Amino acid sequence: MLDFVTAILSNPAFILGIISAIGLIALRKSTSDIIKGTLKTLFGFLILQAGAGIIVNALVPFSTMFTSAFGLNGIVAEDNSLVAAVQTVLGKETALIMVFSFLINLILARITPWKYIFLTGHMMFSFAGTMAITLDQMGITGVQAIVIGSLVQGVSMVLFPAISQPFVRKVAGNDNVAFGFWGSSWISLSGWVGGLVGDKTKSSEDIKVPKQLDFLKDMSVLMGIVMVLVYVITALFVDPATMAEITNGQNTFLFAIITALTFVAGVLVLLQGVRMFLGEIIPAFKGVGEKIVPGAKPALDVPIFYSFAPVAVTIGFLSAMVGGLLVTFISKWLPVVVLPSVIGLFFMGGAAGVFGNAVGGRRGAVVGGFFLGFTFSLLIALAYPLVDVGKYGIQGLWFASPDAVIVVIIMRLAGMLFGV
Amino acid sequence: MRVVTVCGMGFGTSLMLLMEVQAIAKKHGFAVDGEAVDLGSAKGKDCDFMVASGEIASELDGESVEVVAIDNLLDKQEIEEKVMPVIRRIAETKGA
Repeated sequence: MLDFVTAILSNPAFILGIISAIGLIALRKSTSDIIKGTLKTLFGFLILQAGAGIIVNALVPFSTMFTSAFGLNGIVAEDNSLVAAVQTVLGKETALIMVFSFLINLILARITPWKYIFLTGHMMFSFAGTMAITLDQMGITGVQAIVIGSLVQGVSMVLFPAISQPFVRKVAGNDNVAFGFWGSSWISLSGWVGGLVGDKTKSSEDIKVPKQLDFLKDMSVLMGIVMVLVYVITALFVDPATMAEITNGQNTFLFAIITALTFVAGVLVLLQGVRMFLGEIIPAFKGVGEKIVPGAKPALDVPIFYSFAPVAVTIGFLSAMVGGLLVTFISKWLPVVVLPSVIGLFFMGGAAGVFGNAVGGRRGAVVGGFFLGFTFSLLIALAYPLVDVGKYGIQGLWFASPDAVIVVIIMRLAGMLFGV
Repeated sequence: MRVVTVCGMGFGTSLMLLMEVQAIAKKHGFAVDGEAVDLGSAKGKDCDFMVASGEIASELDGESVEVVAIDNLLDKQEIEEKVMPVIRRIAETKGA
């Protein structure tokens, strides 16, 4: 019996299901809502893992192609995919760190002046996974990892919103809401840099953006185009004999295109899973948080800032893409090739554009976006040797959130000091 | 009645919007269930109305249901003023 309970409690899908159930019961929801919510959480998590499987399978041939073409390792920076892929190994730690860090966040919000409640669910999940991976690399697992990981994440959940709040005030014009996103410090910095060189009076919003750029709003389309380009260009550089081995005799171009689109399909499946399990957990977290911390400020996902300057989002993203590509091209001198990572560049670059525009107008948006794209890719490339995800049988994926990477660097350095 | 809230990725902003819309509806005595989706899977979702931020709403003009566009996602008053008339109208036509 005890074995059975332990088995349930070490399965991340069940842990998250139980958390949902507890949350829904605490909010006095009806029995049917509780059953529905718990099941949807379980489905969501299983879909997420299936998506991760598709992504990893699409990246394996790509990594082989890339290494054979350029003699280097190439990575796509995407947290959710990476963390989902390690769930089979570190699922229990991830799920429990996610839950306990939220409780620590609530306690800190209650007793300190930092009244922020971090509510961006997929970021809670990815950061918890980042903690589990980093601690595992340092040889810390089980209960110890859950305790340290939860503490570090709980503190980060109020610290990073606090750091970016002065900049958020400039953009949003009020203090009612905070920035709950593991790129907030970097976006704030990029906006500030944009402000140094720009002119606030010439707003980005006076520019007309051509209707043709509308497709940029749909993540899947954009990612599909970029990934197909990345795969096809890589395939061009692989010698035909190796390529034939990889494709099993299929036409090289068809193989490259289908595998690239399969990668994107995997991301879409994964995100659908994330959506399903967060849709149940986050409202419960929010309800509990509002009861425990009166006067709390929700720290929310990055797109809440887009409506302040929609044109600056497009400008910032395009500039970030240029900055990111620049790093890809100078990869020869870096530990790893950071391939254009669309999701990160879009969401963070767009926000850097908005923040840059708020203090430096259209020039601020361009510079902010470019600075973000360039430095974010550079940071990922330089930090890459600190965590070896190959240990979990994963190739071609790495972390993407600057704030989380900074925390990882600090943890590794602290570990070195204490000989861990 | 059923609402679908939409944002670029289908979590984060759309989930916040959904909770906001449900809270406002509840305050006025209406029960609204719904889901938060991404732009890619919003097309043709079965619902009575949709809510999205301005820049996303412009992509949803082919929908058969009414799409409420919110300019400032942080402005609870704006959400209430735009969403409540729609909820009332739907409640009337449904005879609920």
